[in-house]
Amino acid sequence: MPDLSRMKKPDVKLVFLGDMNVGKTSLLHRYMERKFKDTISTVGGAFFLKQWGPYNISIWDTAGREQFHGLGSMYCRGAAAVILTYDVTNWQSLAELEERFLSLTDTANHDCIYALVGNKADLTDSKAHHCQDSDRLPEDRAECEEERTEPHVLSACPTPPGTGGVGQQPASLSGLLLHKQVAREDAVALYGRILRYKGLDEKSSLPADKMCFETSAKTGYNVDVLFETLFDMVVPAILSKRHENQASPTVDLEDWRKVSGKRGKSSCC
Amino acid sequence: MEEDHHRDREAQAVNISDPPAENNPPADTLATSLCLLGNHMFPDSVAANACSGVNRSEPASLQPSDVTAEDPGPEAEPPSNLGTESETPDCQNNLPAHSAGRGTEDAGVENDQSDSGEFVVTMLAKAKLEEQGIGVKGRSSPLLEAGIQESPPFTSHRDEDVTADSWRRHRKHVFVLSEAGKPIYSRYGSEEALSSTMGVMMALVSFVQSGDNIIRSVYSEGHTVVFLQKGPLVLVCVSSSRQSEQQLREELLYVYHQIISMLTQASISRIFEHKKNYDLRRLLAGSEKILDGLLNLVDSDPSFLLAAVHCLPLASSLRDSLSQILQKAITPNLVFSILVAKNQLLTIVQEKTVIEDARLAPADVHLLLNLIGASSAFQAGEIWTPICLPLFNPDCYFYAYISYLDPPECTVCLLLLSTDKEAFYAVAECKRKIEEAMLAQNSLSLIAKAQSYSVSQVGVSDLRHFMYKPFDVPDNHRQLTQFTSPEMEAPYGSDEEKMRLLDLYRYMHSRIHSTSRPLKLIYHVAERETLLAWVTSKFELYTCFSPLVTKTCAITAITKLLRWIKKEEDRLFIRYPPKYSTTPNPSKSSRSSRSEQQDTTDNGFLSLL
Repeated sequence: MPDLSRMKKPDVKLVFLGDMNVGKTSLLHRYMERKFKDTISTVGGAFFLKQWGPYNISIWDTAGREQFHGLGSMYCRGAAAVILTYDVTNWQSLAELEERFLSLTDTANHDCIYALVGNKADLTDSKAHHCQDSDRLPEDRAECEEERTEPHVLSACPTPPGTGGVGQQPASLSGLLLHKQVAREDAVALYGRILRYKGLDEKSSLPADKMCFETSAKTGYNVDVLFETLFDMVVPAILSKRHENQASPTVDLEDWRKVSGKRGKSSCC
Repeated sequence: MEEDHHRDREAQAVNISDPPAENNPPADTLATSLCLLGNHMFPDSVAANACSGVNRSEPASLQPSDVTAEDPGPEAEPPSNLGTESETPDCQNNLPAHSAGRGTEDAGVENDQSDSGEFVVTMLAKAKLEEQGIGVKGRSSPLLEAGIQESPPFTSHRDEDVTADSWRRHRKHVFVLSEAGKPIYSRYGSEEALSSTMGVMMALVSFVQSGDNIIRSVYSEGHTVVFLQKGPLVLVCVSSSRQSEQQLREELLYVYHQIISMLTQASISRIFEHKKNYDLRRLLAGSEKILDGLLNLVDSDPSFLLAAVHCLPLASSLRDSLSQILQKAITPNLVFSILVAKNQLLTIVQEKTVIEDARLAPADVHLLLNLIGASSAFQAGEIWTPICLPLFNPDCYFYAYISYLDPPECTVCLLLLSTDKEAFYAVAECKRKIEEAMLAQNSLSLIAKAQSYSVSQVGVSDLRHFMYKPFDVPDNHRQLTQFTSPEMEAPYGSDEEKMRLLDLYRYMHSRIHSTSRPLKLIYHVAERETLLAWVTSKFELYTCFSPLVTKTCAITAITKLLRWIKKEEDRLFIRYPPKYSTTPNPSKSSRSSRSEQQDTTDNGFLSLL
């Protein structure tokens, strides 16, 4: 079942970066396959192609493991958007972004945009927890990444218990929520530091509140918003790249074929 | 015969590789102290480990068999040279004895000072020091028992209680540790919880090392402990399967090679040169599942035992057309194109220069297949990952492109290996070409029909199963070692029965390949079947017959079987390993008759050779 879109060259590149077990692969699965499934630690990097209107957007899902650290800059080369992902229940995963992953983005485009995504929001936020993806099958609940035990009774509990911890604690049976270790403000602050690191002017860059997301790959909360916002944001980069290509003496005829593709929203909305 | 064999092994219960002349202390003293060490250190490790008051002891494995070998049952008498009753290890049942922990152990040391006590004391002191250093992590384990497990989440065996009987009863434990005694991997249970146990293992290794020797194995009644030291890594297998030491060591080697395939030998050496007590789990985090998967395969797939690959039976015309498709889809620096279906090889095409100089070792193929199998994440998208083929070159990476050709079923997998880190898009383009060609030729549906065969197709009554590994396929020196084998059918339908048959094969294999007394032919009447194994210069064959078969019958049957294999060999094996050239000057002598394809493109690849 060859996907026709796969025959085409990608116009633009998005890269997911972030520590292991924050849910990069799960976010992609949720968006591409509308499912939350059992994933295992990514090896190297995985390439996906997404048709977005007339454009082919390539998405790289990278391994968060230190073993593959050396490859990060390769996957980032020429990226138009870097999605720095952390786990809202794990402070260290945010710190790692700054310590380990930010320097990898040196090979990205100069006009690359940066997004900060706090995943696993369903564990800390009742709104995210209750978000139900319409396509979601009941079986999904059983096979969830990281063996989070799914609460059977979805009683909203506004007061999170004080137990903080790393990663995979079960949201307790009564539907209690976990302590959120990373507040949105922390992500916003990090976004500011990223801009400074990149030598970008905060005023001329995209504002932090547009670039910081909290998502849940498990319930689908904010996932489509994340991807679609970013896709729309990278379209100008595609256009400017095309413009350069037109100006350049070598014209890639392949490039023209896909422009003729029908403009239409992708199936996922 | 079996007993003789066993006794032989027991005679050298602690098997040390250097000649005895160099032994310092003399071998018997050393052996004794080792045994004592084994007995004492494990209770000690109990004390260090069992922070929450729960007891723990090592499997009976380290119970010294040279002392207790003649004891009739598992309820062994106290070994004569042991000081205190409480130390008497029938480890499986003797938990209360160990509960005294450190105190008991100290008493034990004092009582034992008589003979080789000095060594023991020194070593124990050393071991304790090491444990205290290493054991720090282990002490955090009340947390583990409280259920807030810090181990990686996806792995089912990681959170096993290492104090439980069920943990000790596992058929085969595998541990990997660093020379500093740091835990790197344990097949069952979390490494943290086992850190002092591993420290003890390291103490054993370094104790023997201090006498300029290498510890190779320890035999006890129910268990064999095999040690393998590879560079800065120490691999230990504690097995109650009746496999030979050689076989177990081969299995440890697979584990080592799988680690190398992820990190390369050069980088592991570099890391440990730089920092002796580096925690390698940092780099292997997330890879436990790959090692778990490998060990499960090693136990259940005879390819590992035979060191040969199993390819899916396929009409030779179809296999050839697939090979040709792969041959045509090339790009500079591409060196191997491999097509896999249902975890079996369909075809493999190699760069010509590579194939002249070296061939892909079966073990490297096994590691690749395991990597594909262990990763459900591969089923979506296209993977681009560095991977080292340890037998090909343990120090450099290839870049592997992995993609399934038949989503969403994901049974047919394409694997393209390049030497160029940046070649992803070029290699991905090869996949498109392959995909198009396969679509045009309807290959996928033809592959879907391919399946392994039934032994009944051979048409030999009484023959239940066989494994045939030829050495005489044409071009064999340049070719991957392969074997063929029918599906395991009734009475070997259940997992237990499959395992039982495999164990019998393993036994036959160990007899054939015994280092001390290799055999060419064995006719073995087992309880519920009769086996015949035969090795010649042209093949290695293992057959399993119904129990009532006679010797004459079996020999006639084998003649028929060999005739059948000869007739079918084009279908059963990859007969002509095809090649392509992605280098500018393809070598003049090409042995393959099928390598007319000379899509020569430009260079870049030779850095590898």
